[in-house]
Amino acid sequence: MRTPLKQLIALFLLSLANATVLSAEFETTAVDYDNQEITIALTQEPPQLNGMKATDQVSIMVLGHVMEGLVGYDRRGNVVPGVAERWEIDDKGATFWLRKDARWSNGDPVIADDFVFAWQNTLKPETASEYAFILYPLKNGEAINQGKMKPEDLAVRAIDDYTLKIEFERPTGYFIKLTAFTSYYPVQRKFFESKSDRYGADADDLLYNGPFRIKDWVHSASLHMVKNEHYWNKDAISLNAINAEYITADTRSRLNLFIDGKIVLTRLDGETYKDALTQKFRIRRFTTGSVFFLEYNHRPERITRNVNLRKAIQHVFDADEMVNKVLATPGNLPGKSLFPVWLGGVNDKFRKEYKAPEATIDIALGKKYLEQARQELGIDKFPPLVLLVSDSPTAAKQAEYMQGLLKARLDLDIKIDIQTFKQRLAKMTAGEFDIVGAGWGPDFDDVMTFGDLFASWNLNNRGRYSNPEYDKWVRVAMNSADPQVRMDAMGQLQQILFDEAVILPQYEQGVIYLLHPKVSGVARRVVGPDPDFSHARVIK
Amino acid sequence: MNMTPDFSRAEHSISVEQISRPSLSYWQDAWIRLKKSTRALISLYIVIALGLFTLIGPLIWQVDPALQDLNQISQPPSFARSAILVGPFEREETLIDPNHPEEPAEYPDVIPAPQGLRVVGDATTQHIRIAWEPVDGAGGYAIYRNTHEPEGLNDLGLPLGNTMTGNEISYDDRLSLNQQDYYYSIVSTDGFDESDAYTTLKVSPAAAITKTEAIQRGLLEPDSDAAFGDEVQLEFHPLGTDYLGRDMLARLMEGARVSLFIGICAPFLYVLFGILYGGFAGYFGGGVDSTLMRFADFVVALPFLLFMILFKIAFGIGPGESGIMPMLIAMVLLSWPGTARLVRGQVLQIRNNGYIEAARLLGAKDHYLIIRHILPNTMGVILVTLTFAVPAAIFTEAFLSFIGMGVAPPTPSWGSMCNEGVKTMLSHPHELIFPAAFISITVLAFNLLGDGLTEALDSRMRSRE
Repeated sequence: MRTPLKQLIALFLLSLANATVLSAEFETTAVDYDNQEITIALTQEPPQLNGMKATDQVSIMVLGHVMEGLVGYDRRGNVVPGVAERWEIDDKGATFWLRKDARWSNGDPVIADDFVFAWQNTLKPETASEYAFILYPLKNGEAINQGKMKPEDLAVRAIDDYTLKIEFERPTGYFIKLTAFTSYYPVQRKFFESKSDRYGADADDLLYNGPFRIKDWVHSASLHMVKNEHYWNKDAISLNAINAEYITADTRSRLNLFIDGKIVLTRLDGETYKDALTQKFRIRRFTTGSVFFLEYNHRPERITRNVNLRKAIQHVFDADEMVNKVLATPGNLPGKSLFPVWLGGVNDKFRKEYKAPEATIDIALGKKYLEQARQELGIDKFPPLVLLVSDSPTAAKQAEYMQGLLKARLDLDIKIDIQTFKQRLAKMTAGEFDIVGAGWGPDFDDVMTFGDLFASWNLNNRGRYSNPEYDKWVRVAMNSADPQVRMDAMGQLQQILFDEAVILPQYEQGVIYLLHPKVSGVARRVVGPDPDFSHARVIK
Repeated sequence: MNMTPDFSRAEHSISVEQISRPSLSYWQDAWIRLKKSTRALISLYIVIALGLFTLIGPLIWQVDPALQDLNQISQPPSFARSAILVGPFEREETLIDPNHPEEPAEYPDVIPAPQGLRVVGDATTQHIRIAWEPVDGAGGYAIYRNTHEPEGLNDLGLPLGNTMTGNEISYDDRLSLNQQDYYYSIVSTDGFDESDAYTTLKVSPAAAITKTEAIQRGLLEPDSDAAFGDEVQLEFHPLGTDYLGRDMLARLMEGARVSLFIGICAPFLYVLFGILYGGFAGYFGGGVDSTLMRFADFVVALPFLLFMILFKIAFGIGPGESGIMPMLIAMVLLSWPGTARLVRGQVLQIRNNGYIEAARLLGAKDHYLIIRHILPNTMGVILVTLTFAVPAAIFTEAFLSFIGMGVAPPTPSWGSMCNEGVKTMLSHPHELIFPAAFISITVLAFNLLGDGLTEALDSRMRSRE
């Protein structure tokens, strides 16, 4: 009886020792200078690595490392050549000349037909790509997406293997910036057809033309990217591998991973930044480019349709106070307009050329507007307004702040409806709210990505705001390639948004994050894959 | 045979048993025994104090628990503070040195740190403006802030912001300023990457409030002629404020109302139902008993949380409305079997006692037996169940509010206050400690009182003395 037990213990101890040895072997560190490798954490498992369908940040970030479009962005956000060597764009269309040395990860050259195929495929109604609209500037794109025309009718032609000719539906001054977007990445026809439904589902089910390729992908656990030896510009890439060893969105555990030296980058929130401060890490700041605002429900049955009610709220809300005292994390800017400060205008920044109108904080005036609204609506007392927000801690705090503010200053009652992100979107679409805390991030680097948000036909205009004047100016901007005309139209939109108090801008989002001191060259981007480690390197 | 009698007639005695002490009823006796237990007595006083806190407190401390005081966010408990009056904040243009280029012709390898770091105007908790001398070769500056003197580049603190050109030489900071020392550090950048040198300035802002706000908050008369720079007393928050500057004391009182309402109403109702149900089953026994108790077993198996959500939907309680009523109903409908089982067991036992048999033989009716003999004897168990059910209900409410199923904002309950407080546990512990302490003390007091009552009311314990 005794011996087996002893053996068992010995065996157990042995296996324990083994396990320690093994775990030491697999011990990961954030940076490896000799091998030029870094380890990162993803916030979630990429739901979709099919570039034609991807919509979320993580997928776009991963795809940005393993794919390359016609053009890309450099560290400072300027457009640089990608697969295309040079290009010509005018009101009618564009021509791209592709570089001859761009290759897929199987060695095949990247040819013009790969773009034609990808774009046709994205627009096909069967693909059901949520981002199909971003290809609407291509002639017949919208008709194809609505099933009125065949994909072959798309006015994008491969003149030869290295020349791509594009016709526009309407003049599109910002087209070059669109071509850097995920939905514009190429797809090899032969490869896609051999995979069909499996395309993008696993590491082997994707063909790569970017600086990296996915070596292995263990779903929900890890994703390893290694340098793509077929990439045309591989000499400019220092990193040999980017290992996503962890998948977690919890900022606390990500911070712990960072403290333990396991990952190179993590984002901080209102709570974790205090720990980062005590740990004496260099905190960095970055503006995400997204604008957060309260959107009113403009449907006829809602009292928020009344412009004077919205004006009343506009005159008692102080964005500066909210950013500094309620959000209280650095990096956020007080919201003044739907158009964030970083957007380019004609020659300078848009917001420098077209100053955002500002409402004075005047409670007496606000009350006057409210009284006017009450008379117009023909009610004795305002019913409680439903404020719909998502279930993040900051969103709930902001909602409570607004509730207290409107009660104290206007005696308006607010009911807070906290929902998950998905449920909030569903409720927004169904119009089950009076006011909703919404945000909008840019898809491409042009004012239009914000400007057409409140056009009556835009499906993301969940409050169903409809104003012919607004639609008119959006059309003016859409149908012109002249920057002056386009920006003037956008300036008009900014004024309408203010005059009618269509939305209540709250803040432009900023985030703070930690970056490993031995990693340099990481790009944080407002548009496109973020963070971008493509040109990062490990320094000594 | 001489017959001597073994017995003689006893002397007639007039002495009867003396009742030297006044006769004690069951309750008087229990009270005396309860008083002997210091623990129970203290708990009783705490429970009474909690009742006063909840009912009388709001009449004395008349502060709106939903009123936000953004000048005093997350303040720890303290005496009244004062602040100086300042004008309304107006964002001024950033200082620009016209003699300095926006960008240098060429960026040097090493860009020195700016010199001449200074505060422009008054440093107050409303606004601090710092300015510095432009640096040759800089294409922008990064501004950091810390609460202690930086020990190195990695200890500069919060990155507040950047100026994007080399000739913008001031920064306005308003980010949640408190009355404490701040160390501002400025680093030159090439418009993109930061250099490795910094200069630091210590700033101690004075507490300040804008005059308009002081009037709005009733700290000054509307027609007051107080000048800027005058001192004004801020609102007094004896237990500090929460993350939106709301008074903790007022919120604890308001929260107590919710927590104690649930904590007392729910147990009272379900214990009452449990007594009736268990008493009925126990007294009649047999088939009635088995049927009733199997149904009770069935109710035990029902999941509470699910029912709570179902009731919430069934009642048409929309988002942003209080879930207290469905919580109460779910508790009453699902929590009674425990009491019912206990009372049934007790009744079954008492029913077979000799004195019940005797009373029955003497012709006592059912209702007389129940009221006169059975109920008083189960009273101990019942009261103890009740006192133990109170903390359980308070905990349930706290838990449900903690997960967001309970009260709707801005109404607080102790549980929801803990939920909020736990987020800032490390930086502002008082926001968690106070509501948590109230829950703990209340639960402990009811538990100890329950203990004391068990000893005081249990007739078997009495005979042991």
